[in-house]
Amino acid sequence: MTVESPAEVADRLAGVDYLADEGLATALFLALRLPQPLLLEGEAGVGKTEAAKALAQALDTPLIRLQCYEGIDVSEALYEWNYPRQLLRIRLAEAQGGDIAEEDLFDETYLVRRPLLQAIEHEGPRPAVLLIDELDRADHDFEAFLLELLAESSVTVPELGTIRATNPPVVVLTSNRTRDLHDALKRRCLYHWIDYPSPEREVEIVRRRVPGSARELAEDVAAAVARLRASDVQKPPGIAEAIDWVAALRLLGAERLDAASAGRTLGSVLKYREDQESVRAEGLERLAP
Amino acid sequence: MTGGGAHFARALDRDAPLAAVALGRALRDAGLPVTPDRSARFAAATALSPPRDRSSLYWTARVAFVSSHEQLPAFDAVFGAVVDGLVDPADSRGQAGAPAPLEAAPPDAPTVERQGGEAADGGAPRLGLGGDGEGEGEGVERPVASVASDVERLADTNFGELEPAELDALAVLLRSLAFATPPRRARRARLARRGERLDVRATLRRAQRTGGDPVRHERRRRREQPRPLVALLDVSGSMEAYARAYLLFLEGAARGARAEAFVFATRLTRVTKALRDGRPHAALDRAARAAPDWSGGTKIGEALKAFNDRWGRRGMARDAVVVVLSDGWERGDPSLVAREMERLSRLAYRVIWVNPRAAAFGFQPVAGGMAAALPFVDELLSGHTANALDDVVEAIGRTR
Repeated sequence: MTVESPAEVADRLAGVDYLADEGLATALFLALRLPQPLLLEGEAGVGKTEAAKALAQALDTPLIRLQCYEGIDVSEALYEWNYPRQLLRIRLAEAQGGDIAEEDLFDETYLVRRPLLQAIEHEGPRPAVLLIDELDRADHDFEAFLLELLAESSVTVPELGTIRATNPPVVVLTSNRTRDLHDALKRRCLYHWIDYPSPEREVEIVRRRVPGSARELAEDVAAAVARLRASDVQKPPGIAEAIDWVAALRLLGAERLDAASAGRTLGSVLKYREDQESVRAEGLERLAP
Repeated sequence: MTGGGAHFARALDRDAPLAAVALGRALRDAGLPVTPDRSARFAAATALSPPRDRSSLYWTARVAFVSSHEQLPAFDAVFGAVVDGLVDPADSRGQAGAPAPLEAAPPDAPTVERQGGEAADGGAPRLGLGGDGEGEGEGVERPVASVASDVERLADTNFGELEPAELDALAVLLRSLAFATPPRRARRARLARRGERLDVRATLRRAQRTGGDPVRHERRRRREQPRPLVALLDVSGSMEAYARAYLLFLEGAARGARAEAFVFATRLTRVTKALRDGRPHAALDRAARAAPDWSGGTKIGEALKAFNDRWGRRGMARDAVVVVLSDGWERGDPSLVAREMERLSRLAYRVIWVNPRAAAFGFQPVAGGMAAALPFVDELLSGHTANALDDVVEAIGRTR
């Protein structure tokens, strides 16, 4: 199942209710076909993680996700040995009066596969999508380790030897830019910056995600959210907030966005008390069309 | 393809690699870190899916060539110039209207004075850094023997009264201050006899020696890691006399303590990379470009807000030691300074403010910005001489 053009990628993503613009579709197409890892950056809530999930769904292949955090290391990202099980095995051998060879103890039966190893070992038929989420939260050592893995599409487990990917995964990395990623890593990756969607596209996204929502309501919310993003709030609302907002409004029976309905549902779009206060102070009617 | 893109599209059609290399070169001239494999990647991409129109060409080129968000303005300008054929790419170098090149400045672009010794009386602020490119970093090797012998005296002289050559003599000293932030506990642990966590893996491995009985329990203790260090330097007109010295100080911090460094006058510019690469003049060039009205005063509040919004809140300032170097002469609204300082102090572990005017006799923190910031500052220091900067280094290492 190969895709032939960026437009085809966009079509397939639309088939799983993810609306990608031409830029993202091009980036994903090239990541699939060159093939090369893709680094996605953008404000929080523009759908970086969602893009990888939708890609996996559209290609009908598993999504393997590695969430990075400070201090993540090989035993959490790649593999670990199943110690309790090994210990039981030793006890069993002992009880039976036998002995157990070390290579029996460190064989695949006792291997716990973490996301990176799962992605490398994935047998197909189609490559898995490997999502390495928020890489900027991991530390430099881990980045260097990852670089090696991306370059070689293989990993070495000392006790087992080198495991080579038969079907290398499609790799999508995301970063929130809390720190600069290493140049060497950036060099290896395709890069795409995801912008907030245009209001028209956001209306489409929201309406797909909140079934039965009225066009007028979605349009009101998309316009209000665009205004909030341009204003001086600490945490600009992402697409998820727009979706939540429409869902909340719909649940309360609102047909249009006005000062009253906005006031009752402000918590689904602004998550900081200061932001809510400043928007209320400026007047909620300014959010209405 | 229609319109201005037609010319480039034809070139791409005829000889994709050549057209790709031409675009790559134009981008590199504008300061983007374009390597030959990027051009090759672009050529391969266009072969996979031949661009149908300007927009698909744009996205293919952007995904292939750009590697960070900061490069987008420069990319857009060059793409417009080359593909729409409005400008010969060679002419776009150092153009006044062209976006600021990133990191590496083109050789003929307008720059801030680079030679410390010949700082002109002209419009450019006197912010040279005693040397260019290769020679940079060896400030003391310049012929300053008459003063170099007297570093001790200089170390007690107010930076504002130092001649450029004298500052060069201090450069090595300033760069080599040893920074250490207080530790915080890391997530990862290492083996330790009295550790609080049992290390099953090590215990088990050891248990094999005792017939599978975990006789001795291996433990781990969480490792400690130095806290991040972030420095924000005011390079506006009123700080001119100090900015040079402080930039050297920041260079030491960026290289020694992996500090993040920013400069601001009217806009905030991240200069970490330039400093780490030992190119403080490039850092100043970037700052000068970002703030055309360079000596026109400071917008501390806006700079702090930009930092909090873009970097601080996302994690850079969290649990970090933050050092602000500024005289607190705010041109904008002091209440914004207060608000943003409050946000910053909530994120950071400690906030240290270095104000060179604090050393003056009878100093009162009354400058609008300084007074507004003070309630949220853990420590206010002068740092007006090389020796006074020692106190700053000490303060950076203090625990709360």
